[in-house]
Amino acid sequence: MIMSDDFLTVRKLTKRFAVQTVIEDLSFSIPKGSRVTIFAPSGSGKTTLINILSRLDYNFEGTFSLAAENPATIFQQPRLFPYMTVEENIFLPIRIRETQITRDLLDKFERWLEVCDLSTNLHCYPYQLSGGMKQKVALIRGFLTEPDFVMMDEPFNSIDFRSKRAIINHILNAYPKITVLFVTHTLDEIPLLTQSVLLFKANQLAEFSTLDASHLNLNFMEAIYG
Amino acid sequence: MGRLLPHFFTAIKNNAIGLLVFFVIWLLVALFFPPYILPSPVTVFQDVLSYLNQDIGHHLAVTLFRVLAGFGLALSLGTVLGILAFVTNLTAWVNSFMVSLQVIPGMILGIILLLAMGIGDGVPIALVAILTLPTIAINTANALAKKKVALEQYLISAGGGKKHLVRYLYLPALVPTYQSNLSIGLGLSVKVVLLGEFIGSQDGIGYLLNVARIYFNMKEVIFYLAIVLLFTALFEATQSLLFAVCLERYFFPE
Repeated sequence: MIMSDDFLTVRKLTKRFAVQTVIEDLSFSIPKGSRVTIFAPSGSGKTTLINILSRLDYNFEGTFSLAAENPATIFQQPRLFPYMTVEENIFLPIRIRETQITRDLLDKFERWLEVCDLSTNLHCYPYQLSGGMKQKVALIRGFLTEPDFVMMDEPFNSIDFRSKRAIINHILNAYPKITVLFVTHTLDEIPLLTQSVLLFKANQLAEFSTLDASHLNLNFMEAIYG
Repeated sequence: MGRLLPHFFTAIKNNAIGLLVFFVIWLLVALFFPPYILPSPVTVFQDVLSYLNQDIGHHLAVTLFRVLAGFGLALSLGTVLGILAFVTNLTAWVNSFMVSLQVIPGMILGIILLLAMGIGDGVPIALVAILTLPTIAINTANALAKKKVALEQYLISAGGGKKHLVRYLYLPALVPTYQSNLSIGLGLSVKVVLLGEFIGSQDGIGYLLNVARIYFNMKEVIFYLAIVLLFTALFEATQSLLFAVCLERYFFPE
């Protein structure tokens, strides 16, 4: 399924660690503006795929092309800098890219703080935050740069369902045209955020099929993964 | 600032207690020796004014200058060398070289430097720089080798280049190492400068120590040692305060 408006195209991607093949001959594409979930069991190479697509790992076979001008990755671990406050962590990518801090950007920042209920924690250091709060900071940091493509690797692991729903609603409202590649092994998150799902069988990201996220149910997943 | 300041005051208190314990032990041990071997602190302090009259300020300033110049040189060169070792993936090689440099006896090196440079500031400064540099270079390279890969990956994924890696990752990783380098390195530097002045100088506290021990004037010897001890404690307190006030954020709980 390679279309002309594909945003991300992965062709025959294979990744091996020593004798273990983690990803084998993987091909898929994601159209611009779509929000897609990769649903697979733990240890099946989802994070490896995200690392490759984030250009952190060049040691693979196959190719991929990414049309994004301003991609962002939100990793499974929040990866906050322990010697920076919440505010400094959030504005780090802005400082790296030397983007001007406008009134509009500050408004978006304040809105994110409201959604994530972090307004009183701006001057805290990561060691003073809970796991869920750290993940929220990582989410704000990823989205505040106004990315056109976001890769999210299980970003809601430690976040309670109510907060998760508020954050996802905010993403859908504030970034309606964003392209999302969402990695998870938690079923309830999929229909909230994404329109379609790539299913990977067994322990390798080898075979996949797509389906409408609204058709997901536990019985279906059990039939696939056992 | 609130988290480390109590630690700073605790450190000051511990330093003061340490000094007090030192003087008490000195007082007790001195009871078992005649004053020409180990004079008691009381007799040393009774003669303080006579030692202060012999231009002690000049000698102290000269020693301080040599300690700070030599240590500053070692700190700068050692840090650069440690960073280069890390950047060029030569950490293991540089570590081996530095360890071999570390085992050179100070006395032998001091005599070689004296023959090469003559009497003056050069010998103690060069001696400090050469003997302290390995510790600093090894500490720096090892601190960088323990960098956080996940944070490095984040910076790269966020579009960060080498200057961002240095600014946001490598330099912050060096701050705690810098503090231990300052503590360990300065103690070593003071000892080495005294040795250098002992061997090849005509001023400085080391020189005064040498003259005093030639005449077996142990009261004066002990007085100079007490001055060095107080200076080291003062420096330790100053650097603790500096790190507690300005660089607290880099000492985070894991």
